[in-house]
Amino acid sequence: MSEHSLEAIVDADLVTQWISQIGSEPSAAVPLLQAIQNKYGYLPRKAMDLIIANSAINGSQLYGVATFYAQFRLKPVGRHMIKVCHGTACHVQGADRINTSLRHILGMKDENEDTASNASYTVENVACIGCCSLAPVMLVDGEAFPKLKGADAQRHLKKHARDHNEILPGHQEDDKETASGASS
Amino acid sequence: MNNGQMIITIGEGTCGIAAGAKEVAKLLEQRFPNATFKTVGCLGMCHREVMVEIQNEDGKTFLYGNVDKKNLPKIVHFHRGEGSPPEKLLIRSSDAPDTDSGRYLTGQTRIALRNVGQLNPTSMEQFQARGGYQAIEKILRSGITPEQVIEEVKASGLRGRGGAGFPTAVKWGFARNAPGEIKYLVCNGDEGDPGAFMDRSLLEGDPHSVLEGMLIAAYAIGASRGYAYIRAEYPLAVEYFGLAIQQARQAGYLGERILGTDFSFDLKIKEGAGAFVCGEETALLASIEGQRGMPRIRPPFPAIKGVFGKPTIINNVETLSNIPWIINNGGQTYANIGTHDSKGTKVFALAGAIARGGLVEVPMGTTIRHVLEVIGGGSASGRPLKAVQLGGPSGGCIPEHLFDTPIEYHAINATGAIMGSGGMVVTDSKSCMVDLARYFLEFTQLESCGKCTFCRIGTLRMKEILTKICAGEAVLADIDTLEELASQIGPASLCGLGQTAPNPVLTTLKYFRHEYLAHVTEKRCPGGICKGLITHTIQNETCTGCSLCKRQCPVEAISGTIKKPDTWVIDQKVCINCGMCVEVCNPDAILVV
Repeated sequence: MSEHSLEAIVDADLVTQWISQIGSEPSAAVPLLQAIQNKYGYLPRKAMDLIIANSAINGSQLYGVATFYAQFRLKPVGRHMIKVCHGTACHVQGADRINTSLRHILGMKDENEDTASNASYTVENVACIGCCSLAPVMLVDGEAFPKLKGADAQRHLKKHARDHNEILPGHQEDDKETASGASS
Repeated sequence: MNNGQMIITIGEGTCGIAAGAKEVAKLLEQRFPNATFKTVGCLGMCHREVMVEIQNEDGKTFLYGNVDKKNLPKIVHFHRGEGSPPEKLLIRSSDAPDTDSGRYLTGQTRIALRNVGQLNPTSMEQFQARGGYQAIEKILRSGITPEQVIEEVKASGLRGRGGAGFPTAVKWGFARNAPGEIKYLVCNGDEGDPGAFMDRSLLEGDPHSVLEGMLIAAYAIGASRGYAYIRAEYPLAVEYFGLAIQQARQAGYLGERILGTDFSFDLKIKEGAGAFVCGEETALLASIEGQRGMPRIRPPFPAIKGVFGKPTIINNVETLSNIPWIINNGGQTYANIGTHDSKGTKVFALAGAIARGGLVEVPMGTTIRHVLEVIGGGSASGRPLKAVQLGGPSGGCIPEHLFDTPIEYHAINATGAIMGSGGMVVTDSKSCMVDLARYFLEFTQLESCGKCTFCRIGTLRMKEILTKICAGEAVLADIDTLEELASQIGPASLCGLGQTAPNPVLTTLKYFRHEYLAHVTEKRCPGGICKGLITHTIQNETCTGCSLCKRQCPVEAISGTIKKPDTWVIDQKVCINCGMCVEVCNPDAILVV
């Protein structure tokens, strides 16, 4: 898979519109980056260039800010975003296992990889999302799934993939057997 | 209050929605089309979400927890006049108000959380019906001076609830006396401590109280502009607080010449972008200015020179939500609650290995044991509780034998932990304190802004050593190095992040040194957590041969023939000890040693 296939096509008018709405002064850097990322899921190079060219924010400040805050990413994302909470409560209750099981079913073998090879899902670890009593938790496209075991995470993801016509690269079709095994 | 109509109230905070509140609400609307439906913020009983309160036509009320679409018919059945209320779901009712699970709520003293879960956070009318905006009205209409407001807060003894515990009135006094035409008030809602969600619940459950607190604070220090800095990870809080600002502006509580007086104040929301260090005042200010969130040397303190160089006061969400109550009820009334050292109440986010987790507000001086056992209902698993982690990555672990420590600044500090912002994560015997310390160091190392060398490099070295210990690759001298680093990073760091980063290590070394030693000398993890020191084996006598474990195993380490328990084995050379098999094994046949 080439990263190129995931690159977003940036609408230049939209970016200049954000600059006029949000502001062009240095203090607007964070909200501008948030607007871009909300739209494209990451910070495409072209959008960054447009901000630098059309505002009082220079490249050093913009990239400095973009690389400082955990929210921002410069790499493209898959069509759907999974966020696995790694707050304290989730950590002590096995958030790691959610990652293991999701990466397994998404066929992600390389540790540095965070997006499935067919660009369907990106798995990101996030700091506490504040639902600690429902730990461990993951968010799929913003929808929260509480009190997960590794197998639950896979089950929810399989359903999500079915509903959105996505293929899970690491998923082998042996569900029926599993179901009968579980009841025995 | 009740005119023969059924009233159904559903908690729709982030926790409730995550647990499926919207679906439950929809189903109830179908079943009871004539009932009145109310939406409220999080009641704080997060362990019982989804929560529904039903008031019958006869005025009797029933509070249910753990409601989902499967058990909903039982509730519907009862409220159609058949049978008795489903006992497992019922938390309390007007017939039986004092139940064990109801003690979660009755054991609390709610001041900061007075409205959370009691009103619809998007309704300003409901807020006003509960006495909202009366404090600011009282101040502005009866000409109470800013100095008098500061005096009242001083009498309350309120200390900043964000973690540092600095007296609020003293801070306000600095900014009041600072020269300058334009001053700023900032609400710090960048609740970054993993395991803490007090501010989230307040902002999304009772946004107007925080806003009224901001108005009073702004009046006291003479600020005309403000910011509410809220984590972007809290979308509902951002939405509801934004709505509260609009409503208050329309009602004339924000803007120019508020209520016809000379006092003007307005504010904007700034969404945080995921940097723990921005909880530190000067880093937060840099972030508002659009810069990397890096702290700077103080003095000058923000009260003298803050955002855009103007005098600025930064108050935490919980601190601010206490303010209107203090003005309405008097500082002395607040000071009557708590201890000599610590006044009022404190909100905690109780989570982890506890039976009843959620938001808990207790008077200062309450013991940790009371919170864990009476309110929290003790251990969730039945295993004995081991420790409680207070104050997140900046705080420390308090072991079980110190659970009788009263919750007050002085006594908590004496244990080596800190009060912190209110995160309270409980662990039981199946936990590893070295792994927990490693988790926090990994967190602080990632979040270190990089300005101070000791914090930037020192936390990395500490994390490396802790990782080695957890992997069973450390020697005794590593523990000495760890202690040496821990003692140096604090004093050599500029801000709270670095100053407190070693706390989780220092406290676990103090109280759980034997666990460190077991990892180093015996190559054993007593809690059965550290992957490098445990093995998973199938006990064939309990195995049923169902093959569920094989299907879950991400590395194909498990093999055997279906329904032949004797044939099942885990290949130790392949196994990564992830624990997925243990989670799915119904007969509990996998042994972790």
